[in-house]
Amino acid sequence: MKISELEKLENEGTDKLPSEERRRFLKFGLAVTGVFLGGSVLSLTSVRNAQGVTGAKPATGKFSYPKHYTMVLRQNRCIDCERCKEACVKTNHVPGYGYRTTIMEQMRDIGGGKTEPVFMPVLCNHCNRPPCVRVCPTTATYKDKETGIVMMAKERCIGCKTCMAACPYNARYFDETAGVRAVDKCNFCWDTRISKGETQTACAEACPAGVRIFGLLNDESSKVYKLIHAPDKKVWVQRPETGAMPNVFYIND
Amino acid sequence: MKPARIDLKKLFALLLVVATFALFAGQAIGEDEEEDGGTIIFTQPVKAVIFDHKIHNEQGLECDSCHDDLFQMETGAAEAGDDFTMQALYDGKYCGSCHDGETAFASKTRCTACHIGVKGYNRATGVEEKSGHSSGH
Repeated sequence: MKISELEKLENEGTDKLPSEERRRFLKFGLAVTGVFLGGSVLSLTSVRNAQGVTGAKPATGKFSYPKHYTMVLRQNRCIDCERCKEACVKTNHVPGYGYRTTIMEQMRDIGGGKTEPVFMPVLCNHCNRPPCVRVCPTTATYKDKETGIVMMAKERCIGCKTCMAACPYNARYFDETAGVRAVDKCNFCWDTRISKGETQTACAEACPAGVRIFGLLNDESSKVYKLIHAPDKKVWVQRPETGAMPNVFYIND
Repeated sequence: MKPARIDLKKLFALLLVVATFALFAGQAIGEDEEEDGGTIIFTQPVKAVIFDHKIHNEQGLECDSCHDDLFQMETGAAEAGDDFTMQALYDGKYCGSCHDGETAFASKTRCTACHIGVKGYNRATGVEEKSGHSSGH
């Protein structure tokens, strides 16, 4: 069955899923979000976002911003030295109980009873369809029309934390600093560096292994554009099934 | 029963000697385990890189395979130098002497085979990591 044919089918949703089928899925650690037809789950994601599983490259001309900032993370190069975290904390005054970027760790079985860690840097994905923006009751968090960065207008934040619950990427924390009292998150160093003419975020500049590549997605000569459109590389995004369409891409290079 | 008493004394003396010997021998065995250099964790220039002497000994390497041409035996000597970098490894210095893609896997590959990161370092040294808001959804 072709994707084009699948797209014509109605998504029956997940509420009609037999519990056995659901359990089998959850055993794999997968979210049940898919199209369900005649007793078998055909896709882990709705067909609309099936592209996300295979590469999640943004469709040309769609969701384009005059200065479309994006970050590519070359995951296999990450060695968890955490200089990015240190630079971010210093630049953006992030308190100890929160983070704008962090590194996750997974132990991979390399056979012979041995394991090796896999490190995965994470940050706000600056989604094209940001769930956080959709739920904010005061427009304190919004999608910047110029850059595509998901911004925080802290003076409008009432601290309801709905955005924190909505974010599929756990990229937000509540900054309790007196005088701030608002949700904080990565904004690609917009206020601290990029708007002042710097071309790199603090984390990208601090990384000794060249993991974080920051730049303009709509500039075909930029490194991020070339990495995302490399013909022989698999590009992926975190949790494509949410349909949030991140602007933070991962690649092994 | 005179002889028996002498026997007891001798036995006691013998026991003492054996016990003392065992004590020293035990210490010596313990020292031997330390003698192979144990596990080294480098924290410069980045935190953190692990080197396990045992794994390398099991590959059939002797102490003088690396000491003292590639590495001083003294802990921290390599880190004190300015040239203890990945570039130096690519140029065949330090680990790069073997980790060149021929004798052993190349230094440019399998980063996390040696780079255990801040998380690995904290686990190895028993430091509690600051959690941030990392509790998952």
